[in-house]
Amino acid sequence: MREDMLASILSDLNGSSADIEASAVISTDGLIMASLLPANLDEDRVGAMSAAMLSLGDRTASELTRGSLEMVLIKGSQGYVVMTHAGEEAVVSVQAKSSAKLGLVFLDIKRAAEAISKVI
Amino acid sequence: MDDHEYEQLLQYAKQFSGVTDDMENTLQGLYGRVKPHMAEVTDSFYAVLLDIPKAKPFLVERIDALRETHIKWLESVFSGPFDLIYVKAMYRVGDVHVKAKLPVEFMAGSMALVTTRLHQLLGTIFKDDPKQLMESVTAVDAILGFTLMVMQQSYESSRLAEELEKFLKITGMSRTLFDNLASAYKE
Repeated sequence: MREDMLASILSDLNGSSADIEASAVISTDGLIMASLLPANLDEDRVGAMSAAMLSLGDRTASELTRGSLEMVLIKGSQGYVVMTHAGEEAVVSVQAKSSAKLGLVFLDIKRAAEAISKVI
Repeated sequence: MDDHEYEQLLQYAKQFSGVTDDMENTLQGLYGRVKPHMAEVTDSFYAVLLDIPKAKPFLVERIDALRETHIKWLESVFSGPFDLIYVKAMYRVGDVHVKAKLPVEFMAGSMALVTTRLHQLLGTIFKDDPKQLMESVTAVDAILGFTLMVMQQSYESSRLAEELEKFLKITGMSRTLFDNLASAYKE
C-alpha cells in the first residue's frame, strides 16, 4: 500500500517536468523503497550511493557551518542528481537533464519530499 | 571471526608455512632443552628492542608484563598444539598490536629477532648434531612463520576495522548504510 503511494508520488514527480528523468525514494540506510529508474541503472547502487551522498552532505553542511542540509546537488556533463531528505527516515534522489530549469525541479522535489514524509 | 574462519586461517597459514605434525613433534621434543634458556632469549630480545628508539616508548613502562607474556608464548611454541586455540591467541596478539598503535613492522621485526635468537640457541644445543640442528631450525622457522602470518592477518583486519570506524564517524554514515553500499558494489 505504502509502496504504491510512494510510486504514485514518484510518478507525479517524474510527470511534473520533462526535465526529470528518474527518481527514487530510499531509506536512510540506502535501501530502495520505490523507484522510477531507467533499466540501465542498478536500483541497489542508486539507493546506497544516494543515501551515502546525503549522509556526507549532512556532515559537510555541519562541519562547514552551513546549517542543516537542504539538498545535495551533483552536476555532471550529462545532467544533475539532486538528493534531499523526505522526513527523517527517507531520501529522495532525482536525476534531471543538463538543460533542466533547476528552480522548478527543486520546487517539485520539495513538494514530493513533503508528500513522501507524510506517507512514511 | 567465527570458528569456521579461524579454521580456514589455520589451514591457510599451515599451508604457507609448511607446518607439519612431524615439526610439531620436533618442537615438543625440544621443550625440555630450550625451556631453561627461554628467559635468556626473552631478555636478549627485549634488550635489542629497547635499543630501537621507535620501539622503546611502547615497551619501557610495561617491560615486566611483556617479558612474562613472551616467555609464555615461547613455551607454547615448543609445546603446541598449533590448533584453533593457538590461532585465536595469536590473532588476538595482532589485534592488540593495532589497539596499542604499534607499527606493522614491529611484528615482522620482532619475529626476525626471535628467530635469530632461537637459531643461536639451537646452534649451541646441537653443535655436534647437524641433522638434528637442521630439523629443529626448520621446525622453528615454520612455526614462527605460521605465527607471524596469523598475527599479520589479524593486524590487517583490525587496522581496516579501525579505519572503517573512523571513516563512518567522519562521514556520518551508519554501518548498515556502508554495508548496503558495499553490497551494492559486490563483484
